[in-house]
Amino acid sequence: MYKKIGAILLCAISLFSFCELALAHGEKAQQAGLRMRTMNWWDVEMSTKSLEINEELVITGKFSPSEWWPRHMANPQDGMAFLNIGVAGPVFVRLDSRVNGLPMIRSAQFQLGKTYDFKIVLKARTPGRYHVHPVISVEGTGPIIGPAYWVEITGDPATFENKITTLTGEVVNMETHGMGQILKWHSFWMVVGVLWMAYWLIKIPVLMPRYKEVMRLGPRHANEMITVKDMIVAGVFFGAVMVSIAGGYFYTQIQYPTTTPLQTGEIEVPPLPDQGDVVQLELIKARYRIPGRSFKVEMNVTNNGDSALRLGEFMTANVRFINKDVMGTVERQDELDLIALEGLQVKGGAVQPGETRKVTLWAEDALWETMRLTSLVYDPDSRFAAMLFFFDEDGNRYHLEVGGQMMPTFS
Amino acid sequence: MSAGYIPGESPEIDDDVNEDRYVESAITTRDEQLTAYKNIDLATIPMLFLLFGGISVFLFALTVGDWDFWMDWRDRRWWPLVTPFSLIVLPAVLGVFMWNKFRLPLGATFATLSFVAASWVSRYTNFHNFAGFPLNFVSPSTWVGLGVLIDCTLLITRSWFATGFVGAFLFGLLTYTINWPIFAPFRIPVEYNDTMVTVADLMGYMYIRTAIPEYVRIIEASTLRTFGEAVTPLTAVFAGFVTILNYYLWVWVGHKVIKSGWMDKVI
Repeated sequence: MYKKIGAILLCAISLFSFCELALAHGEKAQQAGLRMRTMNWWDVEMSTKSLEINEELVITGKFSPSEWWPRHMANPQDGMAFLNIGVAGPVFVRLDSRVNGLPMIRSAQFQLGKTYDFKIVLKARTPGRYHVHPVISVEGTGPIIGPAYWVEITGDPATFENKITTLTGEVVNMETHGMGQILKWHSFWMVVGVLWMAYWLIKIPVLMPRYKEVMRLGPRHANEMITVKDMIVAGVFFGAVMVSIAGGYFYTQIQYPTTTPLQTGEIEVPPLPDQGDVVQLELIKARYRIPGRSFKVEMNVTNNGDSALRLGEFMTANVRFINKDVMGTVERQDELDLIALEGLQVKGGAVQPGETRKVTLWAEDALWETMRLTSLVYDPDSRFAAMLFFFDEDGNRYHLEVGGQMMPTFS
Repeated sequence: MSAGYIPGESPEIDDDVNEDRYVESAITTRDEQLTAYKNIDLATIPMLFLLFGGISVFLFALTVGDWDFWMDWRDRRWWPLVTPFSLIVLPAVLGVFMWNKFRLPLGATFATLSFVAASWVSRYTNFHNFAGFPLNFVSPSTWVGLGVLIDCTLLITRSWFATGFVGAFLFGLLTYTINWPIFAPFRIPVEYNDTMVTVADLMGYMYIRTAIPEYVRIIEASTLRTFGEAVTPLTAVFAGFVTILNYYLWVWVGHKVIKSGWMDKVI
């Protein structure tokens, strides 16, 4: 018998030992088409990947809600959105977050197809290694995560400090503020409750004798068990509780004469100025060839600028496909950075000023598979969107979103 | 009080305890019966305390949830309305059980005390120790005084109608008032990053909750439904009325439950 139990326990423990910790945020969990057609993130950078308790981490980057945002899903243009952080709880405190320079303590609306700069400042609070994402939470849709990087926090959490100054001039420690008041009043009411209970339960046995007496007297006469003393004690408790509630309220009003209701509401954030119509494109056809993990896009590109344009990057669902001929060697920020370093092949060459030219791109890499984007072919609407980055001869970058119908090729 | 019941003294022993029977009772003397009754108290009361603490925390998490988990959700308009409406369920049901079966006016106090104690355990272990939030941001609200008010009203009036009309009304009416000493330190205004917030709002912003973006909070926004300019008194009175109605409903449910055959078998 004991051997059996021991064997079962051993098996259970062994199973747990093979389990890996779930440290990420479901980056691959949502439908591929939705990940491609909701939020475009680029230039996401973190100021450091390793910091001590109390040190600051600054995250910067850009995002643009997709012009091909699915109509059946709530979007950040018509509803509310909030710049958030995807991390394992309050291991950081958020000191600041801004979109286009405006503070984002509150929620906002972001226009589809427009570009926004963001900056988030975090302060390290709890030691550990964390996968940190910028997130745009959209009301009615949910959180849409941006690219993530691993950040390690070291140091003694006991040294963490988080103090602010109120408008009344008081410096408060956010970790412990109001705790004395909370414990004092909870203790007081606990004592009141225990005293009332003790009055009735102190002389055990209580339950069975009283139950038998109630049964003997019957419901009509059971009230005879209540004594005058009970009534007086109840009256005293009732009065004392009422006085304590009123006293506590008015005493608190004296302690904290300046208070305000919780604050909410939205903030208006104008988008960054458009780049102008330097580059325009028209989608001809997009095909995804399943065996080759290859996404092919044919399009007409028009260059309205005064310098030849070449396509350097194709980015969708936080995966970057790089045209090495244009961008050279791009460094990964960490080993899990979602970059296909030579994943973009382009046919059609540079688009000269004033020219409209057919350009064909192939975005190919195992990342289609590992990021579960191949399931795009099983999406119910078979539509895609992606951000294209063109570069002129002076190195200026122009971004433009392409999107539309996608045709799968099964052989 | 009837002559047959004296608290703390040996109860009348059952006449048939010493009878010769085919199956003999384990209790053969008055002292043994007294000891057995004491043991029933010592086992039952803590067990009920744990049971109702767990049930009420679970019920509250399902029906109120974030409204009472976080300091930046406890507003003047929704929190004082939703919380007493939900929390009155167990004081009503347990009150009927304790009064009708034992003539003990303890149901509401027992329910609120066990709820607050269990909430502290939950907030400390789950929210503070496990999830890492500062305890002041997730500490529970207090309800024990309001439970005592209901029990005292029941004892004084010995009427469910009056207990609902007075006790349950006060339970809803005074929810915000009794908790104001706990909330006030978190309503101090702060200017932070060019935005006017309270300490509670700022804690909600600073201590990251990925799944709770700012707009998710269901809290007071500007409204014309005020008494003068005050929101709280109007909410408090309305909360009192709806708490009365819910109290009556669950007192009725409690009466149905304790009349059922299985309840007598349990006792």
